[in-house]
Amino acid sequence: MNIIETIQLTKNYGDFTAVSEMNLHIPKGHIYGFLGPNGAGKSTTMKMFLGLTNPTSGYFTIDGKTLSSGRIPILKKIGSLIEAPAFYGNLTGTENLDIIRRILGLPKSSIDEVLELTGLTQHQKRQVKKYSLGMKQRLGLAGALIGKPPILILDEPTNGLDPVGIHEIRSLIRSLPKQYDCTVLVSSHLLSEIELLADDVGILNHGRLLFEGTMEALKDYASHAGYPADNLEETFLAMIQTDNAARKWGDFK
Amino acid sequence: MIFALELKKLRRTGFIPIFLGGGLTAAAVPLINTAVRTETFSGLPEEPFPILMDANWGLMAQLTILLVVCGCCLIYHTEYADRGALKMNTLPVCQTSLFFGKFSVTLLLTLLALSLQTASLIFSGIHWFPDKSLNLWEMIQDMGFEIIMLLPTLTLMLFTASLFQSMWLSLGTGVILTFLGSMIQEDHLILSLIPFAAPYRMLHAVSPADISSCILACIIQTFLFGIMEIIYLHTRRIFT
Amino acid sequence: MNQTIQSAKSEKTATGMISLIQIELIKIRRSHIFWILLIPAVMMWIPSALNANVNFQMDDIGIMPEHNFFIQGFMGMAWFMIPAALIICTVLLNQTERTNKGFLKMLSLPVNTGKLCLAKFLVLLLLMAVQMMFTIIFYYAGALLASRLENYNFVLGFPYVAGGAAKIYLAIIPMAALFWMLAVLIQTPVFSAGICLASVVPSVLMVNTRLWPFYPMDYPFYMLMTEYGKQAEHIFSTEIQWMPMLPVAGAVTVLGLLVACVRFGKAETR
Repeated sequence: MNIIETIQLTKNYGDFTAVSEMNLHIPKGHIYGFLGPNGAGKSTTMKMFLGLTNPTSGYFTIDGKTLSSGRIPILKKIGSLIEAPAFYGNLTGTENLDIIRRILGLPKSSIDEVLELTGLTQHQKRQVKKYSLGMKQRLGLAGALIGKPPILILDEPTNGLDPVGIHEIRSLIRSLPKQYDCTVLVSSHLLSEIELLADDVGILNHGRLLFEGTMEALKDYASHAGYPADNLEETFLAMIQTDNAARKWGDFK
Repeated sequence: MIFALELKKLRRTGFIPIFLGGGLTAAAVPLINTAVRTETFSGLPEEPFPILMDANWGLMAQLTILLVVCGCCLIYHTEYADRGALKMNTLPVCQTSLFFGKFSVTLLLTLLALSLQTASLIFSGIHWFPDKSLNLWEMIQDMGFEIIMLLPTLTLMLFTASLFQSMWLSLGTGVILTFLGSMIQEDHLILSLIPFAAPYRMLHAVSPADISSCILACIIQTFLFGIMEIIYLHTRRIFT
Repeated sequence: MNQTIQSAKSEKTATGMISLIQIELIKIRRSHIFWILLIPAVMMWIPSALNANVNFQMDDIGIMPEHNFFIQGFMGMAWFMIPAALIICTVLLNQTERTNKGFLKMLSLPVNTGKLCLAKFLVLLLLMAVQMMFTIIFYYAGALLASRLENYNFVLGFPYVAGGAAKIYLAIIPMAALFWMLAVLIQTPVFSAGICLASVVPSVLMVNTRLWPFYPMDYPFYMLMTEYGKQAEHIFSTEIQWMPMLPVAGAVTVLGLLVACVRFGKAETR
């Protein structure tokens, strides 16, 4: 069963098409990796799911709900980490989480729980504007995990983390579906990252979905299409380059 | 070069529109006031410009002070909002010259706003006092005096704006100072020359013996606040 | 039908108004707004206490020195400082959201944006109430100091002082709604603040014209001037003319808040 589905989802900013007729299928309880180079439309798609921007055409359903029934019922299901984590710099880590906790109507203990989970306990009383990039990222993740939402939308969650931090956060995300029975949509521009994390993968370039399926299916697809199958990173690069070349040819014609 | 750079940084921030808009708003004061109460003013025995200044300058000066406050807040807000200032600090460029670049840009635009106001006063003089002869030179001298009276306010405000990264603090400080300055009585010569109070002085109302000391006092204060900024730039590493 | 069920559900878990106001108060911690509200209240009364002797030279308008002290002191506050503090607070409430994109996080949480906007407006009014309280406290400090210096009792009864302050406070609400609407509509904070500040300056002139009921920026000053008119002869009208002020004030408040709540967060969710 798909918990998130998009049907011909499109977003234009003026004459620039950020997302083009996209049909995504994200199965419940899976980790879905959203892969694509910078500016491929990953963040825009995630922002549409969160009601931060409206689709130009097409629609999507999240847990059977559409935007027409209101943003709030959808947002209640989702914990999110959006690009450069959003926070209040004048407040401490705990105070930032307290704001989210109050809105979601959660018990006080939920703050300590996520601080522990993301490894921020010892920094909780510092003002966030004094946090390092990695700590801000962890706080953003804590803000997404608080209250154990059934759907998690994480935009490049390992951005700015050191290798140890990347490993930690990756194992944490990996363990989430089993621990909390949730679905995770995670974006990255690194295939190696998605390969280690995700059950399913969707590859995006210039707003179009080039491939969707399980990791296994991606390997099959690569060998059939003549891409190097032993190294998925190269497969990804080759796919993007072919697509870019085709686009250029199309423009030329 | 710094001057051109500072102007470039202000693109699309609304800096120039805010000075144009503020200048036009202040310039509208004598037009509206004289149009509404023409009889009251045209019947007065004095020269047109002193009449117009006495009737309007209080409001115009306050609007100009607020304009300077907003302008200074904006020019530093663009530095602090997306941490542009941090980048500037890492570049091999003298911090003091950046401040004086900002000072020159703000001064230039304040001059623009004041010329709009001068034009409006001249128009009001010509249009509503047709029987009286106009002394344009006196008018221009008066506005030249006002720009000198504004200098300490501008420097102190720019200094204040450079202190605070949160705009409401610089705006709040500027507005409180504007409020306090407006309460200071004219009859107290020394007090009336401090920043935020001095711009309310008018050349024709100051006794000729005091004019040079007024100008000197304002120029000394301008240098003083400039030096305060230099000291701040050289010592802030200790505090932050 | 479906909609009502949804909204009923959202009432259950989503946050009530009190809780949203609490959240807004958390957000302005360490903002130093306290000082911006406190300093003018102090700065206003100390000089008037030191110059209290001028209050004895008001024989020609027949006002008692203690009333003159109170009204003259409050005047600067009513015509300029209170509206200006209101503007600074709108900048504060907007900027805490916009720097570091805290607002984006708020929008991705299940909160009704209209409700959020209203909560912020109520916090704005709360901050102004704090400033009124400071004003009253420092009025008493100033009046006591003046009494000591001049050997004359300048202190007025609390019901009179608090009543006067309350009238001025209520009179700022339409203006607050108008400023809040402008702050929501105009994205550049300096622009909205500049427009609002420029609109405050002419209120001294507007209050003397017949158009005053249509200029909400002069309501607090008008309230104080009628008080002046009651205490002194030939200064100002002695009674508040409720018509057409009340309907205009009501319309401005409702319309301002309506536009603000509808447009709130729209620029961020294009």
